[in-house]
Amino acid sequence: MRTLIIISQTLLLIALAPLLSGVIRKIKNNIRMRKGPGILQPYYNFFKLLSKDEVISENTSWLFRAAPYVVLSSTVAALLLVPAAPFGFGMDLMGDFIVVVFLLALGRFFIALAGLDAGSAFGGMGSSREMFLSSLVEPVMLLAVFTVSINSGSTNLSAVYSAPYLRLSSLIAGVALFIAAIAETSRIPVDNQETHLELTMVHEAMVLEYSGKSLALIELASHIKQIIFFTLIANILFPAGAMLAGPALNLVLFFIKLLSICAIVAIIEVSIAKMRLFRVVDFLSFGFVISVVALLVSVMGF
Amino acid sequence: MDYKEILKNIEGICGAGSLKAVANGADEVYVEAPAGSFNKLCHAFHKTLNSPVMMFFAVDNTAGNASYRLYCVFSGAQACGKWFFVYFDVPENKPEFNSIAKEIFSASLFEREMKEMFGIIPLGNPDTRRLHLHPEVWPKGNYPLRKSFKAGSLKAGEKKEYVFGKIEGDGIFEVPVGPVHAGIIGPGHFRFSAAGEPIINLEIRLGFTHRGVEKLFEGKKPEECLALSECASGDSVFAHSLAFCGAVEKINSIDVPPGAQYQRCIFLELERMYNHVADMGGIAIDVGFSFPSAYASTMKESLLCLNEKLTGSRYLKGINAIGGTGKSPDKNFLADLSAGLDDITQDFNSLKEMLLSNVSFMDRADNTGILRKKTAEDLGVIGMPARASGIPNDLRKDFPGVYAKMNFKAAKQNKGDVLARLNVRFQEFEESISIIRQAMNLLHGDGVPGNNTGAGKPGFALGYCEGWRGPVLYWLKINEKGFIDRCKIVDPSFHNWQGLSYAVLGEIIPDFPLCNKSFDLSYSGNDL
Repeated sequence: MRTLIIISQTLLLIALAPLLSGVIRKIKNNIRMRKGPGILQPYYNFFKLLSKDEVISENTSWLFRAAPYVVLSSTVAALLLVPAAPFGFGMDLMGDFIVVVFLLALGRFFIALAGLDAGSAFGGMGSSREMFLSSLVEPVMLLAVFTVSINSGSTNLSAVYSAPYLRLSSLIAGVALFIAAIAETSRIPVDNQETHLELTMVHEAMVLEYSGKSLALIELASHIKQIIFFTLIANILFPAGAMLAGPALNLVLFFIKLLSICAIVAIIEVSIAKMRLFRVVDFLSFGFVISVVALLVSVMGF
Repeated sequence: MDYKEILKNIEGICGAGSLKAVANGADEVYVEAPAGSFNKLCHAFHKTLNSPVMMFFAVDNTAGNASYRLYCVFSGAQACGKWFFVYFDVPENKPEFNSIAKEIFSASLFEREMKEMFGIIPLGNPDTRRLHLHPEVWPKGNYPLRKSFKAGSLKAGEKKEYVFGKIEGDGIFEVPVGPVHAGIIGPGHFRFSAAGEPIINLEIRLGFTHRGVEKLFEGKKPEECLALSECASGDSVFAHSLAFCGAVEKINSIDVPPGAQYQRCIFLELERMYNHVADMGGIAIDVGFSFPSAYASTMKESLLCLNEKLTGSRYLKGINAIGGTGKSPDKNFLADLSAGLDDITQDFNSLKEMLLSNVSFMDRADNTGILRKKTAEDLGVIGMPARASGIPNDLRKDFPGVYAKMNFKAAKQNKGDVLARLNVRFQEFEESISIIRQAMNLLHGDGVPGNNTGAGKPGFALGYCEGWRGPVLYWLKINEKGFIDRCKIVDPSFHNWQGLSYAVLGEIIPDFPLCNKSFDLSYSGNDL
């Protein structure tokens, strides 16, 4: 029974993941007085790409072909460890925060190698920038995670979620995690998903060589990564324990939480300019400082 | 100061005896260079007038006197309000001359162009590579602007690879971009040499859309070529046709009635406005600031709609005519224009506020892509980017014509960064609105603009106007039969692409698109 719930929840989240990107884009376009594509566009893109032929550079090795599968499977594995809406069952054996962080790092490692593999100038640029940024993002994530773990006495995710109320330190850690999420989901001010300017890209530059099915898998993995982060933030900032509601209501609340995070991300994206690449260091250091503060506040007992 | 005094000074500097100078039209002076003193003379004009080489081109006179005539053009705007043409003849059987590019850098691209188009060799020019006619596709020994070259008569010959400048060192790698780009822009190849992110060198290779526009003008009647001039650069339709008409009108001594002059002034400023506002949005989107960009694109659209309402053409095509503007304005013209300007003024103020008050945007624009004044002067950068680097130059002030009646300030900034170029656009946009309003007042109760097509006199003259990027220059020669013999076009992009490649040095690669947009140069205007 438990396995069934976990699997069905994972499938639900995978199916839902592209929708979040569609919703964010729709909100952005509405703010910008544009009609834009419908919220289902990421699904159309996915199925379109699946049916397309792939062009693979002759200069690439097996790594280039394997990377999309590694990225997708590691991201899905991470998703398996992230319980979404608490259904009132224990998943103690399932989830550990630290494993999630490292599974995501595994995917990034492979995609960065794949970016270098084709030997194109853009791929190399993208990989180098991605590694530079992730070296700054990971400490922020880990520290935020440690804070929440101290609060709940365990690095286990379901323990974190079932916190009875929101502690101040968890709130601060949630903000730090939000900063990390902006960087990890390649959004303004760190990266820009919408740009066509190859020279300014980070994540997009790395996957510029991909087409067809491989690109579909990589894009799906990005959507899933995004939902992982949003779920984590949603459940840390609004722990379910405070709500004492049944599973059905919890599920509805969960969706409302996700939607509000989407709205916040969309509004941030249209209201500020992207930072200069080296200025991102300041931004992520700020995130790091916040997570240190969260840790201190937590140790102080708040 | 009278131009004759300037000539006296220059005679003194060169010591080549008294100069033979002929005035042509109201504002052109042609100075014949005595044998062997062309370089000295050009240098003296360059220094005395403090002007870069504005144009440097050849005319094929091989049919008459077996020679090519080379004209080097300087602007003596501040000194005496004249254009100076220094010329001398190069024999057909030995087409070469001593390069002036070693002393006057702004001549170097013109010399490379002359070399590939006419086969006239600038001895000593350090860069011997082709400019627009790529050696990979255009065989050696074909000189398209010679009269002997006919369309379809391309001779087979040696083809070779273009050689890029090479920067070597530890950790330096090359990033080639283009000529095919992701956006809807023209083709150009950019080769960065970078050490990590900072740019050590940028080489820009253009010419992919070279269409032989100058050759297309030859052998046609001026009135046939009006539409052709409108197609030279798609975002400067009116500026190009105005400069072309100016040259034809000067040759034929046609007086343009004041009503038509005011109308032209209005359209030229409308063209400036829609392009400037598009660039404000473009600069915003290149730093990922999408709301102001969307806002600016609605403003551009409403300006284009205004153009259509006033003239029937969104991009101001088919309005200009030789001698005037073809037709008098509709009875609603002034009312529509006035209402349009009111709306756009409001929107403009919001847009400006939105950009200048946003910290994240200002952080990107301020101090980025600095083009120093000295560099800009040496490279011969003109027009809008020159004004942003503290060089006062604006043909509307220098050779005002109808603008003499308008009260406006030429934009000026000193820093030469992206923000300065944006501020120049803001200033010019505001001034354009004011200029249009003044022109509208003058237009009241004026007569019907003329439309003179009886343009058949032989002669030569320079037509010019300050387009939104900078000066657009047309030098036209009409032969005895009334056909165009030579048309030399210089779009400001030709000078300014080099400015861009210096402005980005030391910046990081992801800032290049921003610097590029702040110049917003034309591919087609360069690849004529």
